[in-house]
Formats: sequence, C-alpha cells, structure tokens
Amino acid sequence: MDILLGQLFTGLSIGSVLLLVALGLAIIYGTMGVINLAHGEFVMLGAYATWFLQSTLGLTLLPCLLVVFLMVAAAGWAVERTIVRFLYRRPLDTILATWGIGIMLQQAVRLAAGADLRYVQTPDQLAGSIDLAGVAIPSYRLFILAFSAALLGLTWFVVQRTEFGMKLRAVTQNREMASCYGIDSARIFTLTFAFGSGLAGLAGALIAPIKSVAPDMGTNFVVDAFMVVVVGGVGSLFGTVASAGLIGGGTAGFAFLLNDTLAKALVFLGVVVLVRFRPQGLFAATGRR
Amino acid sequence: MTSLPDRHDRRAEPVPRPAIAWRVSMPRITSAAQFLPYILFCGAILAVPSFVSDPFLLNKFARYLALGLAAAALALSWGYCGILNLGQGVGFGLGAYAMAMHLKLKTSPVHTGSAGLPDFMVWNNLDHLPWFWQPFHSGLFALAAAVLLPALVAALLGWFMFRARIAGVYVAIITLAMLAVTNLVFVDQQAYTGGLNGITDLAWFEMGGVEFDPYSPAFYYLSAGSLAFFLMLGMVFTRSKAGLVLRAIRGGTDRVLFFGYDMASYQCLAFSLSAGMSGVAGMLYAMVLEFASPTFMGVPLSLSMVIWAAVGGRGSLLGATVGAILVNGTQGSLSEAFLNSWQLILGALFILVVVFLPNGLAGLVHNLGARLSGRLRGMAADRAPSALLNRR
Repeated sequence: MDILLGQLFTGLSIGSVLLLVALGLAIIYGTMGVINLAHGEFVMLGAYATWFLQSTLGLTLLPCLLVVFLMVAAAGWAVERTIVRFLYRRPLDTILATWGIGIMLQQAVRLAAGADLRYVQTPDQLAGSIDLAGVAIPSYRLFILAFSAALLGLTWFVVQRTEFGMKLRAVTQNREMASCYGIDSARIFTLTFAFGSGLAGLAGALIAPIKSVAPDMGTNFVVDAFMVVVVGGVGSLFGTVASAGLIGGGTAGFAFLLNDTLAKALVFLGVVVLVRFRPQGLFAATGRR
Repeated sequence: MTSLPDRHDRRAEPVPRPAIAWRVSMPRITSAAQFLPYILFCGAILAVPSFVSDPFLLNKFARYLALGLAAAALALSWGYCGILNLGQGVGFGLGAYAMAMHLKLKTSPVHTGSAGLPDFMVWNNLDHLPWFWQPFHSGLFALAAAVLLPALVAALLGWFMFRARIAGVYVAIITLAMLAVTNLVFVDQQAYTGGLNGITDLAWFEMGGVEFDPYSPAFYYLSAGSLAFFLMLGMVFTRSKAGLVLRAIRGGTDRVLFFGYDMASYQCLAFSLSAGMSGVAGMLYAMVLEFASPTFMGVPLSLSMVIWAAVGGRGSLLGATVGAILVNGTQGSLSEAFLNSWQLILGALFILVVVFLPNGLAGLVHNLGARLSGRLRGMAADRAPSALLNRR
C-alpha cells in the first residue's frame, strides 16, 4: 500500500513537472501551430534568471517568480517579433528556426554565466517533507503539484474567460475572418507567444531547485514536453493535462518495474505508436481549425 | 490505391492551380549539365590526397566527407520527398555501431586476453560473447550490416508511418521519438553496447590486404569514394521515374494518390535508401574517430545534420554535402577562443537561411545562375527579337 501510494505520488510529481513545462508549449502550438523547439531554452532561461536573482539580489524563490515570468515573456516577445512571425505559413520551418534560436540562447547563456552547473535553493518553508498516510512526501514536490494546477487554472481562465482569450480563440479558428472583425491578429500571436514563453520561464524557475541548472538542460525538456502536447491533442488544455498525467504515470510505473532509462524509451515508443494511429492526439479540440 | 481517402471528400479546399507559365519558362537544362557539378565535385574530393600529405588534415577532411554523406542522405529524404527526418541519427548510429562492433572484436584479445571479450563486457560480468556479436568477427558482415540494418529499420518504420499517410510535422515527431528511443536503449544496454561510453579503442579496418589507418590516404579514398558513389547513386535515383514520383509527392500528395501511385512504397524506398546512406556515413565516422558513442544518436547531432542540409540546400544532394563540409570545416578551423561565439553565429546563420533562403546556398547559386542566363538571353533577345518570338 505504501509502495503503491509512493509510486502514485512519484507519477503525479513527474506528471506535474511535465505539465508545467508542456503548458506553455501547448498554448503556443495549439493556437499558433508553431513548433517551438526553443521552448526548452526558455525553461533554461527561467532557471538561470532565478539563479541570477537569487545570487545577486538574495531573493528567495517565491518573489522571483513574477519577475522571471516577465523577463522570459519579454524574451519570447522579442523572438516572436524578430523571427517567428515570418514563418506562420511554414510550420516545418518553425521547427528549424526555433532550433537555431535555441542554439543561440544556449550559447549566449554559456558565455554570460559559464558552463558550470548552478544551484538554486529551495525556500526554507518548503524544504521539509509531509507525512501522508505513512509516506513521506517532500513539500516542495507538493508545492509544484499545486502550483501547476494553479497555473493550469490561470491559463484556462485567460483563454476562456478574458477578452484576450476570446480574440485568441477567434484568430485560432480563422485568422482572416478574425482580422476582418478588427482583431489585430499579429498582436494576439505576439502576446500568446510571450505568455507561453513566460510559462516556460516559470517552469524553469520552479524546476531549478530540484534539477541542476546548466545551459543545455532545455534539450531534454523540449522533447518530453513535445510528446506530452502531441499525445494530449493539439489545442486541448484538458488533453495536455491528461497526457502529462499518463506519461508521468507511465514513466514512474515502468521505472519502478525496470529502470529510468528503459521506462523513458518505452514511453516514447508508446508515443510513436499513438501518433501513428491517432495523429490528432487523444483529446483533439473539436472546433474548426 | 483503389479507394479515395474519405477526408478529402469532406474538405473541399480550393486546389491551387498549377503554375504552368512558371514551368514553361524554367530553363531546360540537359541532364549532362546537371551531372556536371557532381562530377566536378567528386573529381575534386578524390584529387585532394595529391595535394595534401599532412595525415591530420587528411583525417579531418575524411571526417567532413563522412558528415557530408550524412547530410546528403538527409537531403534525399527531406529535400526530394518532403520527409523531414529528425531521427537521421538512428541510421547513422546503427551504421557506426555495426562497424565499431567489428573493429572492437579485432582488438579485444589485446585488451582482455584469450577469452576475446571486449573490455566493457568483462566489466559488466558477461562470460561469453552474445550471439548477435558473433557474426561481427567478419568484416564483410559488418559492412553489409552497416548499410542494410539502418535501411531495414527505416523500411519498417517507414512502412509503419507511411501506410497511415502520416506526413509533415508528425513524421518529424515520430522520427524524433524513435531517435530518443534508440539512444536510450543503447545507453541502457551497457553490457552489450558499452552504455554511455560507447565502444572505444577500436582497431583499424582491414579489407583485401589494405589497412585503413584513419590518418592514411587509403582511408581518405574510402571516405571520398563512398561519398562520390552515393552522390552519383542518389543523383541517378532522383532522376529516375521513382525520383520523379517522389518529387511529385513533395509537391502535393493528393495528386499522386489520384494518379494511382502507391505513395507509401515510394516513400519507404526513399526513407530506407536515405537511412542506408546515413548508415555508411556513421560507419565511416566511427572509423575516423575510432569510437562509437550514443551521442551519435543524440538529438543535437541529428538536428545539426538538418542545419547542414538546410544551409547547403535541402533540395540538392550536392548542396547539402557542401553545406555539411562548409559548416564543419569552418567550425574545425576556428581557434578555441572563437569557438564560443561560433555557436552564436551558426545559430544566427541557420535562422537567416531558414527565413530568407529556404533552398540554402544551392538555391542561391541556382537563382544567380538563372538570373545570369536570363540576362544573357535578354541580351540575345535584344539582338534577335524575332527568334525569341518564334520560339514562344
């Protein structure tokens, strides 16, 4: 029972980190159709921004979050304005161009902050662990779980309940028609890209205390996050959540039975089979695209 | 292909009218002229050892040519039939490991005594050689495996994907995931593959009494000869009828289907030919570096291959090859201090090419050539306008 509960929590914990990283990607890919391979580098930027704020200004993690969100969102804004906006009609080329952006960001950070691993401190009040039905659960993991849920709620609110979200949905459904109604679709896309990047930055800030911070940390995240978004279904927030849970749970389960490496390989293999039979993902948005 | 896919019935998109006028005004180049750059290039790379005798330089060049072959392989599937294979490293890595296994077996008695087990197997407590390592005692088997194994794997994966008409972005995602799977499996199976370290301390390849020391002209000729052979093969393939169908698939899948072609078979063919080529490239790469490692199947290397092909020109085998050689050559000739900013420049260059030069350097050359010949023709037209009118 303890083992089962522990495994369940491990799955949830992996899933929540995945969700955190995938959320921004899901927004950008789901609404704009841009495959942003620089997403992992935005996560990395968030982690480094946190490290920077912590080591120079002595801020703890929580006050950092808002600043990091704004910083990385600004970076995303700049990238969209200068590069991505030229490529909306060439989805395959966005893969290539954003990979180039990723290379540049990685190298820029390596030059600015050095190639050494950096460490970010867990806030004191979250450093301990909580006893839940006989299983010791690190409070920081619980915090990540809660925070991803909150971010998910925020994203849902922004997309479904604000004027910006309504415009975004209109542009997603039919860009020309939305423009005819006076919606500035270029501006909507820029803001969306910035929002998605900001979410990636938040993910980086939250992940920083549990993983080591290095310039090439993003590469792994972006592949994982991609698989989550594709499995979940394009343009479906619920799908992203379900698939983050599924992939997180699957990874934890296989890792318990076999080992971490094989677990990941098996999960990816599962993704390949799934994409083959359901390219639209498990929970594709039903609206007109 | 007897039944039409039902999704085409529902989606009544306006079919863009073929740009007939553009096609007619395209300069008709004879096939001999199309072969000319390839022949010149192959002649040039084969002539290099007559001018260069420095073994380190030859070794470096041989490495660039191997990577050039990998980029050409990618251009064959990506540029000619629109299959963006982000997992080019699968074929590359399999080819590298096939050769590394053979070369390791040649050297292992030296390392571990009479048992003849590779060192990493001893460390992992294996007491006998696994059955699938046995045939790699033969060099000929290793050569065949380095080509056929990647081709077979690609054919299976291609059959799996293309039967379901998976295309575009989803091909990229599936191949990327397969790359990750292959990499993880090779890292995990430490006792059989050497794990994260890979297979190191390799012997030199030997065939027909010739020893291919990676710093010798003999090895350079092996590398350059393979590249020349596959460039020519690829050229002939793309000019064949199958190549024509493949380019038609790139242009618009629906029309090819309506003409009754079995699209998936053609795509499988190109996909596995490309994988076989990258297998050879990986094999040469393992020989020149004298090791094989899971990084050969890492995401960064495979995406670098995409960069090389894009910079050189994805639509041209030669362009992609030259792109790989140029990028790696520049990278290799820079000093350590400058190497840091090189990644920045490479990233920027790549973005510029993707945004402004979708056909890469080859496209640029082609455009300049077309403009030049257009101007020449224009001058001729000024002198003899009636001749031009008659031809139209």
